[in-house]
Amino acid sequence: MPEKVYIGPYRPQLVEPERFELLVEGDRIIDAKMELGYMHRGIEKLFTTRTYMQNLALAERICGICSGVHTLCYAQTVERLMGVDVPERARYLRCIYMELERLHSHYLWFGILAHSLHEHEIFAKIMGEREIIQDLFEYLTGNRINYAINTIGGVRRDITPEKAEKIRKVLKTLRSLSDYIMSLLDDNGVLTKKTKGVGVLPRDKAIEVGAVGPVLRASGVTSDVRKDDPYAAYDKLNFEVIVEKDGDLRAKSLVRARETYESMKIIEQALDNLPSGDIAAKPGEPKVGEEIGRTEAPRGELIYYIKSNGTNIPERVKVRTPSYANNFAILAMLRGEYLKNARAVIESIDPCFACTDRVVVVDARTGVRRIMNLK
Amino acid sequence: MDKISVYRFLSAGCNACDVEVLECLAPRYGLASLGVEVVEEPEKANVLILTGAGTVKGREALLEVYEKINPPKIVIAVGNCSITKNIFDKGYPIIGPLNKLIPVNYYIPGCPPRPQAIIKAVADILGVKIEEREEWWQTPEGFRGRHEIDREKCIGCGACAQICTADAIEVIDGPEKRIIKVNYVHCTFCAFCQDECPTKALKLTGAYHLLTNDLQKARVENEVNLLTCAICGGTFFPEKQIDWALKRIVEEKAPIYRDFSSEILDAVKICTNCRRSVESIKKAKRLLTKLSEKARATVLRK
Ligand code: SF4
Ligand code: SF4
Ligand code: SF4
Repeated sequence: MPEKVYIGPYRPQLVEPERFELLVEGDRIIDAKMELGYMHRGIEKLFTTRTYMQNLALAERICGICSGVHTLCYAQTVERLMGVDVPERARYLRCIYMELERLHSHYLWFGILAHSLHEHEIFAKIMGEREIIQDLFEYLTGNRINYAINTIGGVRRDITPEKAEKIRKVLKTLRSLSDYIMSLLDDNGVLTKKTKGVGVLPRDKAIEVGAVGPVLRASGVTSDVRKDDPYAAYDKLNFEVIVEKDGDLRAKSLVRARETYESMKIIEQALDNLPSGDIAAKPGEPKVGEEIGRTEAPRGELIYYIKSNGTNIPERVKVRTPSYANNFAILAMLRGEYLKNARAVIESIDPCFACTDRVVVVDARTGVRRIMNLK
Repeated sequence: MDKISVYRFLSAGCNACDVEVLECLAPRYGLASLGVEVVEEPEKANVLILTGAGTVKGREALLEVYEKINPPKIVIAVGNCSITKNIFDKGYPIIGPLNKLIPVNYYIPGCPPRPQAIIKAVADILGVKIEEREEWWQTPEGFRGRHEIDREKCIGCGACAQICTADAIEVIDGPEKRIIKVNYVHCTFCAFCQDECPTKALKLTGAYHLLTNDLQKARVENEVNLLTCAICGGTFFPEKQIDWALKRIVEEKAPIYRDFSSEILDAVKICTNCRRSVESIKKAKRLLTKLSEKARATVLRK
């Protein structure tokens, strides 16, 4: 007799309150459904009530983890509407800030993964060491998370030689953190044992459900907006798009772990070759019309669509976030998976932070709720 | 209270505040060393930490969670979303501020507040002393914390309120004074106001320990005198702003008009209503003629 299992929205807690309903037979999941909307704030409507400038702060607050790339994607789209030519130095600076963000986001993901696999020591180590990026952001931009660094036409704060030195120092420490994570993922690594063969998303399925970012690349598809449709200064910087073939949780981990090295490579190159000049151009008047912009957020392709009627307030702003695209991948991965792996699978795409060890199981026959350990 | 068990309730913010609450568990910040644990069921908690602005969809769950928290049932709102709805204020699914739904005892402002601010606030609430010795308690230069307005420099122009990304700044005109009021619990700490201020009067400072239980006090204000119209005696415009604008004209933009400063000042010290009178228009025309003669003479001499 199949049972229904609910995960979220508030019990157990995921960082984003979402609700998953799993139909379970024995220890296998036979079907999965998802209900979103607990975080719905009406942002797209709010975008149309304030000026292009003011909307920067709103775009930043769509997600508090990849806040920077949202402002970048938004600003780049507006820059197209306004015909603003962003100075070369600003383009390089944008790459530096965005790769730092990718680093902190990827490490956070590893922290969460370790947590969901009950590797509490690994969790504590990664979360503790990751703090230095947050400190660095605070030093560079004035805030640990909502950096408010991008503006229409460029960036708001420069990187002086002194600051560049500090960034290099931080990268040195991070390199050893990445080495540590890689060692957990080698053939006998602690994480390898718990992630190999879990939550497999085959290549065609990944394409079919429209997965993006590291989830897609872990299923063997070479796709990265930074290469496919370069923005900022990515066309001038040398880096590799990391791809893994297996499509399981280990492949997703490897993609992210290897990407941290690429991010460091990008930052170092950008620091070495930082052109001189202004850090921002003056914004202009928006033309009447529409524009679309995309960037590679830490979780994958992020898209902004903006329609302008020529006033200083946009007529329509549409945002397609990578997590939204990947939610459909979760459902595909959950079907047929062991119940004990459900949490790790959900967290393989999304920052679900403090998921507990338990889920509520509803007996499909009697409707009686019981608490079950998800171990 | 011997043991503090915290349950987190997140309802529609950007998540950053919740991430920072969890960050407090990191050994560096040592929430645990204050005897605080984070629990996953409201039944096991005696403290409720709220983040996010509150939505229609999460309302029932919040009320249910609040019921289950054990005494002394201390409720702490972390971050400006949970305090005032912040930038999501006019969002259609947003039903906060959360203190309308359940009683809130303490507020920790920020967007997000640093973990240091949260730790210190929790220690203060518990009456525990902590030493801020380590370097990371300091804020770096350029940190975007609570605002400060330099009373000497502020001219009351309201440019900060115009640009503000979260409707945090109010311009209130009274009979004699204009008040510029920064409501920093309804603020994203984006510092656009600082960039926009023409006199560099407004600054975001390193002040970040902003714990309060009285939201009325969470303000930074400045007052400027309004000018009295030379004709009707009504007030209409900040005095300092006119001085500032005039100074800019005669000293920076067009020094050739310096000899006429007092006449220009007389002309602008008339409220918009009185400026429309026949007498005022005639006077203004005479002044303009003089100014353009002066300009022509200067050009010719060159
Ligand atoms: S207060 Fe600011 S940082 Fe906190 S949840 Fe709201 S928008 Fe995010
Ligand atoms: S002078 Fe600066 S602080 Fe004062 S009202 Fe104008 S913009 Fe605001
Ligand atoms: S920092 Fe200034 S501009 Fe930004 S939200 Fe706060 S008051 Fe408004």
